[in-house]
Amino acid sequence: MYKVVEKKEWTDSLYHIKEYKIYVPVKESYYHLFRLLTKDVSPDFSFSNTRLSPKSIIFPQSERMFEFSLSEDDPDAFVLKEAKKQYPLQAVVGIRPCDAHAFLIVKKNFDNPDSKDPWWTRRYENTTFIGLGCNSPASTCFCTEVGGDPFNEMGLDALMYDLGDRFLIKVLTDKGKTFLDKVKACSEAKQEDIEKAEELKCSSRSQISAKIPLKELLSKRILEVFEAPIWNEISFPCINCGICTYVCPTCWCFDIQDEVYKQKGDRIRNWDSCMFPIFTLHASGHNPRAEKFRRVRQRFMHKLKYYPEKYGDGVQCSGCGRCIRVCPTNMDIREIANKMASI
Amino acid sequence: MEHYTYKIRDIAKRLFKEKKIDIFIGYEKGTNPFFPRPVLISRIEDVDRLVWNSNCGLNLCNYLTGRKEKIGIVANGCTSRSIVNHILENQITRDQLYIVGIPCTGILDHRRIQAAVNDKEVFEIKESTDSFKVVGKDFEEEFIKEDYLQENCVTCTHPNPVIYDEMVADPVPSRAERPVYEDVEEIESMPIEKRRFHIQKLIKDCIRCYACRNVCPLCYCPTCFVDERIPYFGKSIDPTDTLTFHVLRAFHCAGRCTDCGACERVCPVAIPIRIFIKKLNKEAFEIFSWEAGLSLEQKPLLTAYRKDDYDEFL
Amino acid sequence: MSEWNPNIVAFLCNWCSYGAADLAGVSRLQYPPYFKIIRVPCSSRVDARFVLAAFRNGADAVWISGCHPGDCHYIEGNYYARRRFILLKRLLEFIGIEPERLFLSWISSAEGTKFAEVANMIAAKVKELGPSNFFIKKRAEVS
Repeated sequence: MYKVVEKKEWTDSLYHIKEYKIYVPVKESYYHLFRLLTKDVSPDFSFSNTRLSPKSIIFPQSERMFEFSLSEDDPDAFVLKEAKKQYPLQAVVGIRPCDAHAFLIVKKNFDNPDSKDPWWTRRYENTTFIGLGCNSPASTCFCTEVGGDPFNEMGLDALMYDLGDRFLIKVLTDKGKTFLDKVKACSEAKQEDIEKAEELKCSSRSQISAKIPLKELLSKRILEVFEAPIWNEISFPCINCGICTYVCPTCWCFDIQDEVYKQKGDRIRNWDSCMFPIFTLHASGHNPRAEKFRRVRQRFMHKLKYYPEKYGDGVQCSGCGRCIRVCPTNMDIREIANKMASI
Repeated sequence: MEHYTYKIRDIAKRLFKEKKIDIFIGYEKGTNPFFPRPVLISRIEDVDRLVWNSNCGLNLCNYLTGRKEKIGIVANGCTSRSIVNHILENQITRDQLYIVGIPCTGILDHRRIQAAVNDKEVFEIKESTDSFKVVGKDFEEEFIKEDYLQENCVTCTHPNPVIYDEMVADPVPSRAERPVYEDVEEIESMPIEKRRFHIQKLIKDCIRCYACRNVCPLCYCPTCFVDERIPYFGKSIDPTDTLTFHVLRAFHCAGRCTDCGACERVCPVAIPIRIFIKKLNKEAFEIFSWEAGLSLEQKPLLTAYRKDDYDEFL
Repeated sequence: MSEWNPNIVAFLCNWCSYGAADLAGVSRLQYPPYFKIIRVPCSSRVDARFVLAAFRNGADAVWISGCHPGDCHYIEGNYYARRRFILLKRLLEFIGIEPERLFLSWISSAEGTKFAEVANMIAAKVKELGPSNFFIKKRAEVS
């Protein structure tokens, strides 16, 4: 089902939807971020992509999982209790298809037959994703090379096409329909709008110039790539900061810490990064990945070899290109993937 | 800048031929025009990968820690001062290094350039002597370099390397006689409540990625204080923990920072992170007449003392 | 407000200032009981992170006291401490901790009276300033 809406009316309507907490892309000082829509916030849908991925909407950077009381008078003393939280209905409007695809990748880790992460799954189930297809991908984008597309529908409840002065919206799921029914300004789309959208799809796809030999990469033996002598040269520039893992929509590692204040304690989970030197530090003091090249190798092996072997469904990368844009030393996953595929 | 690049390549080739170095650390062209990639050259055949331009804003001294080979390295003013500091702190020895000195004309501020072209994607930066062209998919715009320099470069007091084995060009004039601290003074003049709020606002977006710490050559501790289990400073994005990180890290760099600006350049959320260490640099300059890394004869500020130091203890 | 008693953390160097505190006690010199004294071997043992940790845990003021310059038991420790804490005080003022909350003094082990005087002065100043309401780490402000 296709609907169409004038851009200005779409933005105005979003302010009036009370049932959802809506996250929209907002221009900050030098970059865009997804922020909660309030009356002081104005969305900017003519953005390339946000600096930080929207993963923090489902998987916040720091989250209280459990709390406990240390006070002797408390009947529940020393018992870990799940922190009470609200899980309101949310909507992420303007999410790019690569980021929505990334959520499906992360879902394999947080919501599978063996284990369900209660916080991630509850937030994800309560979130509606209204995607915005990319008319002009950036030169750092390579979604088509990793199983995606600038107008990919995976993980989305509706997909918007930017037709200049209006959005064409393709409704994909019931959740999407429920959300869009709240926007009264939407009307039925005309055939010419739908055709224009098809043209956009083709022209957009052809603008992606990056090439990643995914088939060769996936067919290489893990140990062969692991032991290859390329890693010393590849890892030299890396400063092990962790920006790539924090902006990446498919990175999911976290660390759990207990913090105590007076008689109350919290078990908090924070994003962690395989780039940090103490990521694999054992309690014995031994650190299997003490040297930098091991950590750099781990990141790319995990994304491009271990994940496909474990889940059999493509690589752990949706081609958003954020890591390439923010890396201070220009580590480029496209170049590294090519090097790995051609050893 | 092209003549710098060719000179660096010539020097590197000669050094490899004469076996004066085992490796050469410099920059090469990558896929991001604003962040040239640091590269380690170990064969004379790869020397032509080396470049130098006004976007080489990292501090290559960061890559020297713990190395044992004979190293050739390119260094402008602030990087050379960091190298002096590294030698004084026994992280590298002077005889290991062959320093190719670059008289620096300033590093460009990538954020302001990106904003000046309305966030359109930049493919290439072409430099001339006083100006540079920003090239994108379907646009080309020219700007004057002086208008787009990084904040720390605008008032640079030491653009020429303080130690070097060979310079690639003649020294350039400094932009300021003494260090300038306008932004610090602005914050100092605020009443205390306003100052607290202002500082909190500056760091509210910090995502604790530690890029500022990792790109800084001074931060070479095997275990950083944030990674220690005791005392536990908290790794969440709690505002007090974040402020603790920035304040204590700045304090650990007191008297050692050469204001290279790498920390501010790499921050993904554009925090003006230098403000804390600049305050300390200002106090060090005003109270102890100290600027870091100027001479191999002077011990760093907090590892030395004078009997007649300024004293305000009761 | 009159019910509130300040919480002041005092880092006293073992050889001089701690001796002065001892002497003040033995001489029955009166000073308020608000001080939590931590004995350190030398004033230069005090790290900036101790001062920050004290403020984070709710200290209303921090007092660091050592031997007079030139008289350090370890010859030169207090010279390093002097440079370090003057810079730290400036930095703390910059981020919004009142400079009056960090006290630095040289008190030798014979100066019991000076110790009591300084202690009384600090207690009065801090009572006037009020409880610390900044840079205190409570429960993490996370979602």
